[in-house]
Amino acid sequence: MICERVREQIPECLAGRLESAARERLVAHLETCPACRAELAELNAVWRGLGSLPELEPDPAMRARFLEVLEAYQAGRASGLGQVVGPPHPRWLARAGWPAALSFALLVVGVFLGHYATQPRGASPEIAQLQGQVESLRQLVTLSLLQEQSPSSRLRGVTYSYQMAQPDAQVEQALLYAVNHDANVNVRLSAVDAIEKYAANPRIRRALADALPVQDSPLVQIALVDLLVQLNDKETAPALRKLAQDAQADNQVRQHAGWAIQRMEVSQ
Amino acid sequence: MDDEQVMLNVRAGDLGKLELLFDRHHRALFRYFLHLTSNRAVSEDLVQEVFFRILKYRHTYQPGTRFCAWMFQVGRNVHMDHAVRHRAEVAMPERGWDVRSPDMPPDRQAQSRQEAALLRRALAAMPPEKREVLVMSRFLDLKYEEIASVLKCETGAVKVRVYRALRELSDRFFALCGERAS
Repeated sequence: MICERVREQIPECLAGRLESAARERLVAHLETCPACRAELAELNAVWRGLGSLPELEPDPAMRARFLEVLEAYQAGRASGLGQVVGPPHPRWLARAGWPAALSFALLVVGVFLGHYATQPRGASPEIAQLQGQVESLRQLVTLSLLQEQSPSSRLRGVTYSYQMAQPDAQVEQALLYAVNHDANVNVRLSAVDAIEKYAANPRIRRALADALPVQDSPLVQIALVDLLVQLNDKETAPALRKLAQDAQADNQVRQHAGWAIQRMEVSQ
Repeated sequence: MDDEQVMLNVRAGDLGKLELLFDRHHRALFRYFLHLTSNRAVSEDLVQEVFFRILKYRHTYQPGTRFCAWMFQVGRNVHMDHAVRHRAEVAMPERGWDVRSPDMPPDRQAQSRQEAALLRRALAAMPPEKREVLVMSRFLDLKYEEIASVLKCETGAVKVRVYRALRELSDRFFALCGERAS
């Protein structure tokens, strides 16, 4: 029994975190117990071996990817054009690749648009044309990012979709596909948030309700339930009721679906 | 400014401050995931996911909580989600992980490389929950109280788990050494 208690302290001792009184008791025991001394020697060899394993450094590009996500998230929070027309961020120019090129094109068009928009004249055909170009580029950037291999790029695609001034059928389908099929939970969660903009369409609301039973992530299911409650479409209530009674579903999800049905009944 | 204050600023809406927390902690998170997945690209993606979740669920950070413990809790959830989706075994890469100490004589270097490879293989073969507690204790230098907070258990339980994990790793390592010798 004493040996067992002493041995449990060996890792702390090897890490240098054992308090002095406990360390002295450990040493005193080791002096009289050859079996524990052998244990210490063996574990020490493995502990030191772990310490000598090399540590790989993450790719420096990781930081740039994180900053892109952060910027895209911040831009997504702010509303539309003003963010795009603003001055380019210094880090932005340092990054290469086609998304940067597209973003640059978007910025140039945006700056022109901003210039025209500040003129005292009213709307002109040139402004309308430039607005169309901005919207096309946004659609292109969003759709391209959503098809990327990397989850963080797809996340950027989802957040970029917030900058679309008008709902777009292709982006709508890409977001719905992300909600239903993306391999990454965070991309699916973000797509649920982003698709709210398209939820005026009854077909989208039905598709969101249909997505409930096929999701394998309780987090995404709860996000979908919250969105359906917010949309308050009674057509989606049967799907929520089914989820609340689904024995295979996560317990919290079932409870949340039950709560959602009550909320919808009260508000109708 | 300490991590907790920075995180409170992020929570209050100063999202740019998250860059500071990323700079301070992304390497530790990367090491954590690398030891759990043995895949560099996956580990980098999981780090991105952790910081994205911190961004998205920043309001769930409670004042007074150690940021590191909270971050590794998020990391743990991210890894569990990943593991559910990719139930593949851990495959340890044999290349790119060379032992340090360039001053060693060549024969000793070869032996060290061999031992390191066996130790990595033994670590990779450990049950995930044991590998995790060992990684937190040995590589992330977290205190037992912090590990307990991440794993949501008592500090005493962490002490026992770390010992048992190290014991099992030792058994696996020396068994592999024996196989190699025979």
